[in-house]
Amino acid sequence: MLASVDSCVLVGLEARRVEVQANDGRGDVAFILVGMATTAVKEARERVRSAIRSSQLQFPGKRLTVNLAPADLRKEGSGLDLPIAVATVLAVMHKAPPPRSAFLGELALDGSICHVNGVLVAASWLRKQGYERLFVPAVDAAEAALVEGLEVIPCTNLASVIAHLTRIQSIEPQPLTHPVLDTGVEAAEHDLNEVHGQEEARRALEVAAAGGHHLLLSGPPGAGKTMLARCLPGILPPLELSEALEVAQVRSLLGDLSATKPLDWSRPFRAPHHGVSMAGLIGGGAGVAQPGEISRAHQGVLFLDELAEFQANVLQALRQPLEIGRVAITRSGGSVTYPARFTLVAATNPCPCGWSGDGRRACRCIPAMVDAYQRRLSGPLLDRIDLKVGVRRVPLEALASEPKGESSAPVRERVLAARRRQLDRQGCLNAQLKPSRLRQMAALDAASRQTLERWAEQRGLTARGFHRAWRVARTSADLDASEHIGERHVLEALGYRLNDVAA
Amino acid sequence: MMSLPDVNALHARGRWPPPEGPRVAIVGSRRPSPYGEAVAEQLATDLARAGVMVVSGLALGIDAAAHRGALNGGGITVAVMGTGVDVVYPASNSRLAEEILAGGGALVSQFPDGTIPRRQNFPARNWTMAAISDVVVVVEAGEGSGALITAEAALHLHKEVMAVPGSVFSPLSVGTHGLLRDGAGLVQNARDILAVVGRGGEVLDDPLVPPERLGFALRPERDGIVAHLSDVLALSAADIARKLQLPVSEVLGRLTALELDGAVRRQEAGYVRALRRGKERA
Repeated sequence: MLASVDSCVLVGLEARRVEVQANDGRGDVAFILVGMATTAVKEARERVRSAIRSSQLQFPGKRLTVNLAPADLRKEGSGLDLPIAVATVLAVMHKAPPPRSAFLGELALDGSICHVNGVLVAASWLRKQGYERLFVPAVDAAEAALVEGLEVIPCTNLASVIAHLTRIQSIEPQPLTHPVLDTGVEAAEHDLNEVHGQEEARRALEVAAAGGHHLLLSGPPGAGKTMLARCLPGILPPLELSEALEVAQVRSLLGDLSATKPLDWSRPFRAPHHGVSMAGLIGGGAGVAQPGEISRAHQGVLFLDELAEFQANVLQALRQPLEIGRVAITRSGGSVTYPARFTLVAATNPCPCGWSGDGRRACRCIPAMVDAYQRRLSGPLLDRIDLKVGVRRVPLEALASEPKGESSAPVRERVLAARRRQLDRQGCLNAQLKPSRLRQMAALDAASRQTLERWAEQRGLTARGFHRAWRVARTSADLDASEHIGERHVLEALGYRLNDVAA
Repeated sequence: MMSLPDVNALHARGRWPPPEGPRVAIVGSRRPSPYGEAVAEQLATDLARAGVMVVSGLALGIDAAAHRGALNGGGITVAVMGTGVDVVYPASNSRLAEEILAGGGALVSQFPDGTIPRRQNFPARNWTMAAISDVVVVVEAGEGSGALITAEAALHLHKEVMAVPGSVFSPLSVGTHGLLRDGAGLVQNARDILAVVGRGGEVLDDPLVPPERLGFALRPERDGIVAHLSDVLALSAADIARKLQLPVSEVLGRLTALELDGAVRRQEAGYVRALRRGKERA
């Protein structure tokens, strides 16, 4: 007899329906699997055969044909093991599968059901397609149960799934995973009160957090650039539910979600090494592209230490996501789009030896080398960074004493208030304001405009640079709880333009 | 000791050999503090006015300031290049090179036309510079600076070496202070140099003026900040904010306003006062 059950395969953050048809037919003893299956799926035959036998279920005696429809869709991954096994067993038992149900899971040889990546992505897509029930590995059940209106059946082994389907012993559905906001703010890993001095960089972090601006920290080795960057998540507001779900979807694809607590409210912080490849940073890989570091940093912070050491083409590829907050990648398996709206924090030495501008140690680089080094940083990427500040080494004697700076909590309060003002006024953060809306939402008085224009003329600012300084001025005013942008706000914004040199 | 080229056989653009008279080389860091730059420029101007030819290397920083100062003083100045005389390096000094020629000076080099900048050529150039000068004055040289090679060459060639003192905190003064300790002549103004070359002359005593006295600080609330800035060592906005007990955002804004007016300059490590001579008000 023929039995057919539904499943899906993932294409980025979307899924495609797959109908698994099993036919227990006549002919020579064989297990034939057709329907454009890649290696992992073809290997399912061995796992399915062993799992069915280990589960004391009947495997077809003669010829078993399994078709994965539609035939023109490439199928990857091990999530089709369970639907293939279920279809096979139902075909032998002459039973029909439950309606509007889908199956997802990998089988072990003993019939137990193991984790697969992307269950959350599959679950939300299936729900949208009108499915009512989803059989998933028990370890992934909490993740799937984040999706409302879908009955999630946690499966530990094949025998219990069949027992459930044949109404011998039913499995309790997984209760809905309530996205309860953690009570009390989780202590961030790094707090600003551990930072010595660096008032300028601290302020720049606050402005970056408040307006969603990208930030460049420039300073000698050991000045504390990494420490400062790691403090940024702690002064950002926790994720909103919708944001947390977006973050969880990307993590789900990568199999990164915690089984017990699938929803995490803290902002992601990613710090890829400067040797990272294009595929690693932007996303890629064979078949369907996997999300890269920029998508893992979605709604959080991407920290690029030693910016000048990154491959030039890798940095170039950051431009599109920095501009539009997502990235489209095309591979042989199709084109996918991943979210990538992050705050970029980059750190760099001012010159190859790192000591240019240090008060105590002389720089040994020849000026041409410094120029070449800074040219590697300049150009289109740097033009997209709103805030640039110098970080200086803290004298050793100061390090021994207790740092006196503010802790992260009050800074975060100010950041939250400033963000609320922006969202109330314009529905987005200042960094995302288009020039046309900037004129509406951030009108400048005569004095402020004149100051900004004077600087732009003196330093040969590009139109992009001009707008960036303007947005930062808007954020500076928002931190001041002021609707009006004063000259001092413009002046502060210009103070973060370290790399504008007098023409 | 390097083998020296025949001075009269140098490749040259402009008037070479120059008219008789004392020649003083002014050399130093390619990335000086505003203090060093201002001193080099002022010394060169005063020497030029007294009829002394100023020699330097057409590099960035002290070299460029010396050439510029000599031109401002209406004197002739000679650039000793480490490249061919048709290759101005760095290219950003091309206009300065033209001005040197227009002012009756010369660009000279021991290297044939078309020689591109090569690291190994510059020490030899420094020897040549010492060879054609009577006195070598070093203004700001960090440890290992090329200017110290010129000073060493001058010693070997029995030329006078003089140095300008700086701040004991500044890495750019390590080399010059070393020279002073080893017996170099102390330079406080052009008169000290003129005495060595046996040239009397009037030295205009128009000392460097801090910006607040140049009419830059039109707004009284800024004066406080300028007074806390150094003309040698860069201070960050955070340093000043701490000193004045003001929010860093405010200090940053005020400094930017002063920067717009040209009263302060921003360097990699922070802000310094921009020094100018009283009469050269912008």
